[in-house]
Amino acid sequence: MKKLLIIMVAAILTVAPIFANGAKEAAPVADDNGPKTITVWCWDPAFNIPVMEEAGRRYTEAHPEVTFNIVEMAKADVEQKIQTILASGTKDGLPDICLVEDYNVQKYVTYYPGSFVDLSDDFNFDDFSDYKTSIGSVDGGQYSFPFDSGVAGLFYRTDMLKEAGITAADLENITWDEFCDLGEKYTAKTGKFFLAGDPSDGGFFRMMLQSSGKWYFDEDGNVDVKNNEALAKAIEIYKRMYNESFRKPTSGWTEWVSAINTGDVPTITTGIWIMGSIRQAEDQSGLWDVAPVPRLDVPGSVNASNLGGSSWCVLENGQQKNEAIEFLQETFASDADFYQTILVNQGAVGSYKAAITGSAYSANNEFFSNKPIFETMGQWSTQIPMVNVGLFTYDADAAVMANVQDYYDGKATLEETLDKIDSQLRNAML
Amino acid sequence: MDTRKKPRRPGMIIVYIVLSIASIFSLFPFLWIVVGSTNTSTDVIQGKMTFGNQWSTNITKLFGNANMSTALMNSLKIALFTVILTLLITSMAAYGFQMYKTKRKEKLYSFFLLTMMVPFASLMIPLFKLIATLHLINSVWAIILVSSASVFMVFFFRQSFVNYPSDVLEAARVDGANEVMTFFRIFVPSMKSTYAAAAIYTFMTSWNNYLWPLIVLQTNEKQTTTLLISSLSSAYTPDYGVIMSGISIATLPVIIIFFAFQRQFVEGMLGSVKQ
Amino acid sequence: MATELKRKKVGWYFITPVGILLGIFLLYPIFYSLYLTLTSTRGTLTQFTGLANYRKLFSDPSFFKALKNTFRILFLQVPLMLVLALIFAAMLNSKKLKFRGFFRTAIFLPSVTSLIAYTILFKMLFAYDGLVNSTLIKIHLLDAPIAWMQAPGTATFVLILAMIWRWTGYNMIFYLSAMQNISGDLYEAASIDGASSSQGFFKITLPLLKPMILFTTVMSTIGTLQLFDEPMNFSAGGTTASMVGPDNCFLTLSVYIYNLCFKYTPKFGYAATVSYAILIIVAILTIIQFRVSEDSDVRLERKMAKAIKRGN
Repeated sequence: MKKLLIIMVAAILTVAPIFANGAKEAAPVADDNGPKTITVWCWDPAFNIPVMEEAGRRYTEAHPEVTFNIVEMAKADVEQKIQTILASGTKDGLPDICLVEDYNVQKYVTYYPGSFVDLSDDFNFDDFSDYKTSIGSVDGGQYSFPFDSGVAGLFYRTDMLKEAGITAADLENITWDEFCDLGEKYTAKTGKFFLAGDPSDGGFFRMMLQSSGKWYFDEDGNVDVKNNEALAKAIEIYKRMYNESFRKPTSGWTEWVSAINTGDVPTITTGIWIMGSIRQAEDQSGLWDVAPVPRLDVPGSVNASNLGGSSWCVLENGQQKNEAIEFLQETFASDADFYQTILVNQGAVGSYKAAITGSAYSANNEFFSNKPIFETMGQWSTQIPMVNVGLFTYDADAAVMANVQDYYDGKATLEETLDKIDSQLRNAML
Repeated sequence: MDTRKKPRRPGMIIVYIVLSIASIFSLFPFLWIVVGSTNTSTDVIQGKMTFGNQWSTNITKLFGNANMSTALMNSLKIALFTVILTLLITSMAAYGFQMYKTKRKEKLYSFFLLTMMVPFASLMIPLFKLIATLHLINSVWAIILVSSASVFMVFFFRQSFVNYPSDVLEAARVDGANEVMTFFRIFVPSMKSTYAAAAIYTFMTSWNNYLWPLIVLQTNEKQTTTLLISSLSSAYTPDYGVIMSGISIATLPVIIIFFAFQRQFVEGMLGSVKQ
Repeated sequence: MATELKRKKVGWYFITPVGILLGIFLLYPIFYSLYLTLTSTRGTLTQFTGLANYRKLFSDPSFFKALKNTFRILFLQVPLMLVLALIFAAMLNSKKLKFRGFFRTAIFLPSVTSLIAYTILFKMLFAYDGLVNSTLIKIHLLDAPIAWMQAPGTATFVLILAMIWRWTGYNMIFYLSAMQNISGDLYEAASIDGASSSQGFFKITLPLLKPMILFTTVMSTIGTLQLFDEPMNFSAGGTTASMVGPDNCFLTLSVYIYNLCFKYTPKFGYAATVSYAILIIVAILTIIQFRVSEDSDVRLERKMAKAIKRGN
């Protein structure tokens, strides 16, 4: 009898909670006319979150039955959670819309087939910048909805550079070598750092490569490392930045941003999305300006590039798939006024062509030396060379970073380094 | 222990110096947390070591914008259920292994011990799949059940049970008590400090658990304190004053519990290593 | 005898509840991972590839880098921490010591903090503009700030320092408990025999502490080989960081597994293979640790017997 008791206790302990919760948290049946909630996962409370909230507010005004659950997570957490759920094959707990970094779109679509909605028939993608739509096109389908532009610029503090006698003209259409020369000059004259940077950040590489229309892979997705002139040049520039004293060593995003906000460094070269962070230091209003991103000293390199940027993906197994598509159609795909608002409030530059002609776009920006900075950068964005980021961008990034240290330290030649990167990358792709 | 006087050691001063340095090193970060929770983010970054007046602002932000109270409740709920379930099932298993030794049980026990070596990272995907089929995603039970099945706790309890005088159990049996009654009525009450130590240990582990809750819990309403602090610190513009207050509030329950049961904790640990 | 047999059977019922949970939440995933190692599972695409993943392991520089990093941390951190824990425990074990309770609590207190919290703290302390640099400059030990988290050497140092801060007190409690369990009579006998207190420590305390030392060594080894939260949080933050710490010095095996799953192309099959490699390494290490301790046990027992004989 008592044995039975033990077994029963054990069984109840193990099983009861499972059923209790299983029943309680079963998926609610979607009702066409009832209240609906669209769940969105995204990161960055200074940028993507308020943008999505603004879009949600507009949609709820027109459709009061639809509300939004915008879940804020760190970028790495979004990536890990969405992949865990997709990999497990479950339909529970998926959002309806998920923000995906552009470098990851093709990868997710390819390795989690059937998880993302092919949006080709729902939108006219000619309305968006080509280099953004190409990111999400896999096998003729269009799986990502373009959001923010990652057009790059060399943002700088006019007042600080003046101390070293560096003018706006000195920064126009320069190469990265010239940029480093300026850094040396600035540091020598003022004793301050010229830029802040984390040597483990591969973002600079990608920015340099794209300005030359090159990537770690060619158009067909084959590894392009050994004879990649742009990559070799980029590694040389990196070595210079790593070894010389004009770089303030920072670790991670926070320290990097705080270096500009506290006035420690006069320049930051990155995607346009950094503007929100720059503008956090209100006392620096009017002191900033932007120049085109430096180019690589290789044939075909231009003074225009892209860094980061992300797209919205709609989940096939979200609870409100159709509503989510309608939502994107009515806001991000047609509402030019919405783009004006997020531009003014968050400094978010979309890739919706029709929106980049509005008044907010061409207005002079008080913070950035009273210049029409968005219009200027919008023009640069049309010159960004297209690249195929493929499925293995982060594997390639890791392979590059894992092998450059020896080159920085003078323990390996550039050629040996490229060889090692090549073989490590090929092995990773197996 | 022996209370008779031993010759005074000249090295005693060194002992005090070493222990003082170790204590300062150990306690300094705590002081920093407390000071930091009263300062602004900028002050924290710049290493200001004097008390500021931002405490109430930070706390308001923490409980207002970041919803610390929900996180505290979630952590508490998970920790309490985990402690109860873990203590019950792992001590029962340890009792089963120790008091009813057979060769097959020993083999199973060794196998259990071996599984302690499996890195958790490698189990994440299959475990998540399993949790999904059981419809436990975003449920605290996904965390409670998984952490309660603790091989380490079985091991801990069994170590403590090794020296239990078996004649006590024999006497109980002679008196007509059955095996289950013997366990719950005679054995468990005599092992109070072991259970206290196990409870504190389990509570701390559960309270500080990070990776698995991060994967399983999907919504902000289910967030635990550890996840909250992690998300505060990985924000694009972290507010270090708020983070410091968050850390201080999240650490407080564990410190309180530790101080309240310190004696039992040390005694229980003692029991687990009796030879 | 029949009742004896019946009783032994009852033992199984006691084990059942935990057995069920372990079976579901541990054994099933373990065997599932084993199956994954034989496949090229990427996302939801899967294909049986036999031993290809194991072959790939041997030509994967990142795996060896992670292995090297993990063992570097293991060999530097674990012995240092355990020796410190042992020294503190021995010091605190003296009854004559004043403020024992305070010292014990102070040194143990770090182990109540969560792994996330303490990594955030140390990262902030050792930031370029952080408290450590500014203090060192203020007291003129440094002229210019050190970029602690930028060079592999200093970054590893900070990681190890942080781990020692967090875990020394935790291990000390185990030693202290074991020491308080040693009968005073043994020391008595030794001191009559003319042994000094440090001789007492090496001849009596240490040998009797052996099971505890073995236990803490094995647990710390397992913990360090699975090291994840600390290096992950030390290196996190950069949105596009391509390295885990400077020159990948925080790339431990568990972090590598995590990155294989979620950061790079999602190679779940290969990630499982790496984790089985860890399992095999840990198993071998544990066996070695037990063997070594068994051998020396025999020797120590002989010594002890001699000592006791002399004492009598």
